[in-house]
Amino acid sequence: MIKRLGAGVAVLWVAATASYVALLLAPGDTIDILIGDGADTPEIRAGIVAEWGLDRPEIVQYLSYLWRLLHGDLGRSYQLQRGVGEILATQVGPTAQLTLAAAATGVALAGVIAVVTAGRGRWLRGAASAAELVSVSVPPFLIGIVLLSVFSFTLGWFPVSGAQGPAALVLPALALGLPIAGVLGQVLRGGLERALEQPFAVTARARGLTERALVTRHALRHALIPAVTLAGWFTGTLLGGAVITEVLFGRPGLGQVAMQAVTGRDMPVVMAVVLLSAAVYVTISTLLDLACRAIDPRIRG
Amino acid sequence: MEPPVKRLIPALLLAVAACGAQPAPTAGTTSLTWAVETQPITLNPQLWSQNKARLLVFNQFDALPSRAADGSFQPWLATAWKVSDDGLTYTLDLRQGVTFHDGATFDAASVKANLDQFRVPGYNAAVSAIQLKAFGKAEVVSPYQLKITLNERDGLFLDFLASPYAGQVSPRSLKSAKDLKFGGVDLVGTGPFVLDRYVQGQEIHYRRNPAYRWPPAGAAHQGPAHLSEITYRFLPEAAVRVGALTSGQVQVIEGVPATEVNLIKKDPGLTLRTSLNSGTAYSYYFNTSHAPFDDQRVREAFRAAVDVDAVLKSVYQGTATRAWSIVGEKSPFYDPTLKGAYGGDPAAGRTKANALLDEAGWKERDSEGFRVKDGKRLTVREIASAPFVRDRRDILAQAVQAQVKQNAGIDFQVRIVDQGSAQKALDEDQFELFGNSRGDSDAGAALNLILPAKGAINRTHFDDPQVDKWLIAASATSDQAERKELYAKVQRAAVVSNAVVFPLYVPADQIAARKSVRGLGFDPASGTPASAYDVRIGT
Repeated sequence: MIKRLGAGVAVLWVAATASYVALLLAPGDTIDILIGDGADTPEIRAGIVAEWGLDRPEIVQYLSYLWRLLHGDLGRSYQLQRGVGEILATQVGPTAQLTLAAAATGVALAGVIAVVTAGRGRWLRGAASAAELVSVSVPPFLIGIVLLSVFSFTLGWFPVSGAQGPAALVLPALALGLPIAGVLGQVLRGGLERALEQPFAVTARARGLTERALVTRHALRHALIPAVTLAGWFTGTLLGGAVITEVLFGRPGLGQVAMQAVTGRDMPVVMAVVLLSAAVYVTISTLLDLACRAIDPRIRG
Repeated sequence: MEPPVKRLIPALLLAVAACGAQPAPTAGTTSLTWAVETQPITLNPQLWSQNKARLLVFNQFDALPSRAADGSFQPWLATAWKVSDDGLTYTLDLRQGVTFHDGATFDAASVKANLDQFRVPGYNAAVSAIQLKAFGKAEVVSPYQLKITLNERDGLFLDFLASPYAGQVSPRSLKSAKDLKFGGVDLVGTGPFVLDRYVQGQEIHYRRNPAYRWPPAGAAHQGPAHLSEITYRFLPEAAVRVGALTSGQVQVIEGVPATEVNLIKKDPGLTLRTSLNSGTAYSYYFNTSHAPFDDQRVREAFRAAVDVDAVLKSVYQGTATRAWSIVGEKSPFYDPTLKGAYGGDPAAGRTKANALLDEAGWKERDSEGFRVKDGKRLTVREIASAPFVRDRRDILAQAVQAQVKQNAGIDFQVRIVDQGSAQKALDEDQFELFGNSRGDSDAGAALNLILPAKGAINRTHFDDPQVDKWLIAASATSDQAERKELYAKVQRAAVVSNAVVFPLYVPADQIAARKSVRGLGFDPASGTPASAYDVRIGT
């Protein structure tokens, strides 16, 4: 466990350093960013340098950044003129809500579809497959717009924007969850069908087990391993997709903060978002490892 | 999950056709939801920097004078002002009985505290270097009279006092606000609305200030605002804003793209208002520091090669107003005699462009049809910073690109890059052309940045001592007629005699709303949507 924790911290440090260096190497310096499209005179530049301590050597700035980080100080946003920790604190909640709801939607849809269609007739299977393919290949932006046009603008069932109650969460969660359901559904069904061809399935059928009981009690467990491994992948998809979904639906959240920060080269915010994503990744992959052990007793040994 | 694709496409069309099907908001309610495109990056008026966020500022804050469409100044929190003959002393008489939202009294001491706040190092470097360059000191003469002394004449000082920067903040909250530079609910003003909720990425919410009795001269009513509360919801996607409006989820939107204008006009339940912005027109500025635009003939040829009317018609579907000068026609300083003073007839323009380029030595053509001189292709590069590209200006550039290629054999390359790369190209002079418009309420302020040899955003490298003199003279006087005359000379010099600028269109703002919403309008000084003070819901 301690080894795992150490590895996690190392990943965080590498992520922080790599993004720091990448932003440093990108063209244009911080002063340019802070000046933006506005007036640009030596006095204004001098004012900005003094305000942010940009006259110190880069290595000093980096070390002081790490030092502050160790104390839990994420710095101040260049653009938004506020503490980064405070900005993130207000935005984590809505994003967590959105991504969890989307993940739940994706997993539930994938599970239901896979269990219902695995090993069934060609038509049912083909239809599910086609739907999955559509949900994976249509850009999330378009899925979002279509969902909005139909269920919000025309039918008026759900509000367009904001994080106001569960109703406002439905469409964004669907928009973000559908692509996940698509991929996960295919993998899960593939796993189920492979499991159903195994010798143990023949034995179980010989014992007189119904097909449904065989799928849910035995095959599902086998099919879960590849699907759970994939869950690591969809953490990334969710965080990336949150950017588009949040902007489209006018929802608060880390995604749109991240987008604003990247286009404005707001270093402290970008760094904090990178760190947070890395932390989420490390946590989730640890949890997934534990889940795999629980699902497949053979790994425990 | 059945494949819903087939059904969705007609549904999409239905959504477009079904506008106005939803009921209007209930009569008698006094709350309103307004979807806006841009999130404010700060709520502190003294650090305001986005014209798109100007409509929020004067809900919460009041300035000293207000500015009318003709450029004149009207009483607001300052009821009268006197400028000494040498132009260095401004004496302001302030309105009595005005209170901040935190209960503090507005008086000469609070105005002084607001001005002095700009002196704090690192607070607002840009404003203290430009707008307050001439500011000397502020002295309290009596509780409601303030004397401001300038170090040099500054004809733009009143414009500063009428701008969002001079939105009066309670001195107490200047000291106590948790995040002074960001602002928020604890940074309070005297305005008709009190900010009570800000959710980043979602919305900003105001409630009425029941004590409000001090609107600017020119407001449509007196006393507190009509609406008891107003929510501005951030919806950056234009199609989503329009959908939210047509389905009745919001009652007002701003920022209606040309592609959606006809949809809204056709809907009997909706209204659309448009206003040109003040400040400068969106123009291409030629970099005169190196070839090929160091040659005036090439600059004129580039302009003549573009059929501006046709380009604007195709890009903005007839909703854009062609510009003829750097200064937009909304500004009182616009020189209308420039209309048609150069270019005009597209066929004659093509002939002229080719003749000018031949004369300038760009005679040969390469295999792709581009003009060549001494083995070098006639290439001009536009560098644009992606975060600042708006209003379909990327599409506009493509249309211009096609025209100059076809009509004159000019290779116009458009590069839309990140802010850092754009700044690098500007610093290293690796560009021939850049596009810019500014929303300053006083066009003179923009000209002072763009045209003088040492101007803060002079990227043309234009250097004309005579123009510099005119600009200095125009900045030193507050006589509007004199300024107008001087700026007319400046515009003619830049646009006609030197051809350093290629005016394209005058930026505009749009407000679309349900018919029941009354009192919507535009800020006469800037041409951007006005505050919600006069807005009400009728039946």
